[in-house]
Amino acid sequence: MSTAEKYLKPEVIRQIKRLDLRAQFIVKGFLQGLHASPFHGFSVEFSEHRKYTSGDDPKDIDWLVYAKTDKYYVKKFEAETNITGYLVMDLSRSMGYTYRQELTKFDYSICLAAALCYLMIHQQDPVGLLTFDQKIRHSLRPKARRSHLGDVLSLLANLKPEGETDIAHSLVQVAAMLRHASLVMIFSDLLTEFGPVMESLYRLRHDGHDVILFHVLDEAEVFFPFEGMVELEEPETQQRMSLDADGFRSSYLDEVESFRDRYRRECFQAGIDYVPLDTSMHFDRALGEYLLRRSGQG
Amino acid sequence: MTFLHFSLLAGSALIAVPIILHLVMRRKPTLMEFPALRFIQKRRDVNQRRLQLRHLLLLLLRTGAIALLAFALARPSIKFGMAGGSQEAPVAAAMIFDASPRMEYRHENQTRLEAAQDLGLWLLAQLPGQSEIVVLDTRLGTAAAFQPDRGAAKERITRLESVANSTSLPAAVAGAVNLLKQSRLPRKEIYIFTDLSRGAWPEGQAASLQRHVAELKDCGIYVIDVGVSKPTDYGLNEVRLSGEVLSNRSTLKLTTELSCVGAPAPRVVELQMLDADRKPRKRSEQSCEAIPGELQPIDFRVGGLEPGTHQGLVRIVGQDGLAADDVRYFTVAVKPAWRVLVAAPKPAENHALFVTEALAPAVYRKRGQARYDCDICELEKLATRPLEEYAAVCLLDPTPLKPAVWKKLADYASEGHGVAVFLGRNALPVESFNKPQAQDILAGKLLRQARRPDGDLHLAPRGLQHPILAPFRGQAGAIPWEMFPVFRYWELDQTPKGTSVVLQYNDGRPAVLERSVGRGLALTMTTPISDRPNRKPWNLLPVGEAWPCMILANQMAAYLVGGSEQQFNYFAGQTAVLQLDDATARRGYMLFAPGDLSFPIPAELNRRELTITATDRVGNYRLQAGGADGVDLGFSVNYASEQTRLDRLTDQELAALFGPIQYRLARTRQQINRDISAGRVGRDLFPPMILIVALVLSLEMLVANRFYKE
Repeated sequence: MSTAEKYLKPEVIRQIKRLDLRAQFIVKGFLQGLHASPFHGFSVEFSEHRKYTSGDDPKDIDWLVYAKTDKYYVKKFEAETNITGYLVMDLSRSMGYTYRQELTKFDYSICLAAALCYLMIHQQDPVGLLTFDQKIRHSLRPKARRSHLGDVLSLLANLKPEGETDIAHSLVQVAAMLRHASLVMIFSDLLTEFGPVMESLYRLRHDGHDVILFHVLDEAEVFFPFEGMVELEEPETQQRMSLDADGFRSSYLDEVESFRDRYRRECFQAGIDYVPLDTSMHFDRALGEYLLRRSGQG
Repeated sequence: MTFLHFSLLAGSALIAVPIILHLVMRRKPTLMEFPALRFIQKRRDVNQRRLQLRHLLLLLLRTGAIALLAFALARPSIKFGMAGGSQEAPVAAAMIFDASPRMEYRHENQTRLEAAQDLGLWLLAQLPGQSEIVVLDTRLGTAAAFQPDRGAAKERITRLESVANSTSLPAAVAGAVNLLKQSRLPRKEIYIFTDLSRGAWPEGQAASLQRHVAELKDCGIYVIDVGVSKPTDYGLNEVRLSGEVLSNRSTLKLTTELSCVGAPAPRVVELQMLDADRKPRKRSEQSCEAIPGELQPIDFRVGGLEPGTHQGLVRIVGQDGLAADDVRYFTVAVKPAWRVLVAAPKPAENHALFVTEALAPAVYRKRGQARYDCDICELEKLATRPLEEYAAVCLLDPTPLKPAVWKKLADYASEGHGVAVFLGRNALPVESFNKPQAQDILAGKLLRQARRPDGDLHLAPRGLQHPILAPFRGQAGAIPWEMFPVFRYWELDQTPKGTSVVLQYNDGRPAVLERSVGRGLALTMTTPISDRPNRKPWNLLPVGEAWPCMILANQMAAYLVGGSEQQFNYFAGQTAVLQLDDATARRGYMLFAPGDLSFPIPAELNRRELTITATDRVGNYRLQAGGADGVDLGFSVNYASEQTRLDRLTDQELAALFGPIQYRLARTRQQINRDISAGRVGRDLFPPMILIVALVLSLEMLVANRFYKE
């Protein structure tokens, strides 16, 4: 099985094909007017006609069709832009963890990245790849070629999450690397200090990048399904702790929820899309829901 | 607390196992990789403490379960005041049966005594072999001893019957304790079969009961209640008579009360008198509503009784649970009106007015109902007056009499008659009264006249035991003696032997004295009762509302003629004493007792009293001798009220009676079995202990499962 087929199954493609990730950013940037959009001189390509309805812009009415049919039709266009996406992948040891799911957090993130990569390339947007642990380890320049998807996936497939990580430092490096306003899609379990990470995310936003933060946790990390006495070991630091899982569950769930809440709140304020995920969710469905929600916001 | 298998307690050492496991071989938890450990670290300390607590709880449960199991397997038991040993060890057992008439209460076609006998026989069969057994009842004055064998004890129980003269149960327990103390068997048991009625357990005997039982160490006390919790009974209280010796002119008054326990109901009470053939004839009846807790008064009056002995009974018509208190028997002696000679100074009628009116009021005289026929004579004529026809002679404020007259009076008295002397102002010179002839009658030499002109002296009886004072007994504090002051009285000296003081003044000096003279008696009053208030009287006794003095005069007269000291009505068990005189003295008599029993009573001719001790049956007794014209005397025997009272003690009252003494109250065979078993072996704690062990083990499993879930 090729790398692309492994991570990008046909049903996933069907699910996300109709979604227009790029357009949301265009519209969002245009409406918000927070900063100069690099996309305002976009070209248009005719897509289809549809009946005019109240609320449509009258300038979109196709007068030629009106002349022929005596009915109002508006023209629909497929947007075309030069938005550049970067998939930023956490390579920390903890990303290789799963308790009882088929996919590790890393695999899950690759699947997500593959889907997004496919989506962007399919819409002729260049996509690049950056991986990091304590610093940036690999990078692929953004390209919009169809064959680039294979390059991205083969690189990801050959990576193994190991070692410690420094998300904040790596993201600052990413911000320094990017010259133009881009769409930065970060895949990480964020199991590190909150403050520095958030600062680096602000830095990215300040540089004009759109950021989607995919917070990927294992199902066990979200629901804490252990029972009885367990001894838990942190894979990166080898720190161990014995505890009664049943007695500790509610405290743990409170902690996780408050951690996610904190990110959710801060990201909302920073204009970052925060997408909390766990490996028990079907990633295609999770991604679909997220993109639909985005279109709803747009 | 004792243990059946004491050695098994050593098994509690096994609690070391979970402690060792806990300390050394603690089970290792499953090791797992978990990146999100940082979320746990924050609450780690709280979690660790909880973990340690759980470990400790689990350890405690396990060690507790082992210790409890060892404890339970050692078969612990708690004892209640009994010597140790197995249940089959021989005992020294006293079985006390309440044999009072109350136990004849019939319920579900069985008397309480029969119920007690049934239980007693069953219990007898339960006693271990080689036991020493004594069967006691509440019969008064019976000597008790251990039965020689179980068969004899069984026979004794079977032959038990109620007795009229029953003593209280605490007294019977005291007897049982004395007997049990003689036994060498270490284990002692007292079984008390009772209906728990108040009469059997007098409150005043609680201390004595506790003291006696405390003398026996490790003695099991079992109170076996054979009573009926809510009895229904109608009964009559003791019958009170207007007098036991009446004159043929008097009306006999009978007073009693109808009592009720249980349900109220209308009842008929009838009076029956025995005729010459000793057959009861109904004379009167009364209907009244018996109400629980209330006493309904019943009164009968019978007039026209001929001289002789009359017997009868008052009974409730119909039947109820307890027949013993449905009938009350009585006997009265009716005599012709007594002739009393009243001798006084001139004018005798004036002096004697108060006494004659007190003894035979004009109203009664006109109706022919006066108890006494009073003849008045002047003191000077006393020498010529034949005295034998009088039952008594009264000298009112006598002047000095000739020695022959004093001797005549002494002879008269010594033949069994009565003489009363009321000393007054005329007793001067005193020498004539201090002569030997006068001193044969008087209760001492006249010393001086004591004067108390302030009026602060009055009669003040100290004790009311004397028959003369009997009417004052019910109202001791209510007699207004101080309204009748005494200003003068004679102080007496050298009172002869056998003289007793009947009545005193409030300064302690004697007012009325009694001495016996031969077969008769003489009364001396140291102040007169014939003084008119207009002549510097010695006292105001007969002045105004003088009813105390009238009663006193009547009682003195009745005492002199022998009407107040004769008793014909007794309680069962009391010794009956019948007065005899020359006319009735015989060498032998025939006593006809209730139940058609008759037996001869030998007597001595010179004895003037006949004593009969066989009074353990209630009913009317008749004593006869000499055929139809001979002696015909009688007396009645009744149950004392407390012998037939059915109201029951509450459990609290019974507990108060026993105080610190441990006892067990049982009503059924199962309860008796359980109590005796608990008393001998103690209460077995094995079942509850095993239950607790099971609970602890379940809890341990629950906690452990929750703790070590895979």
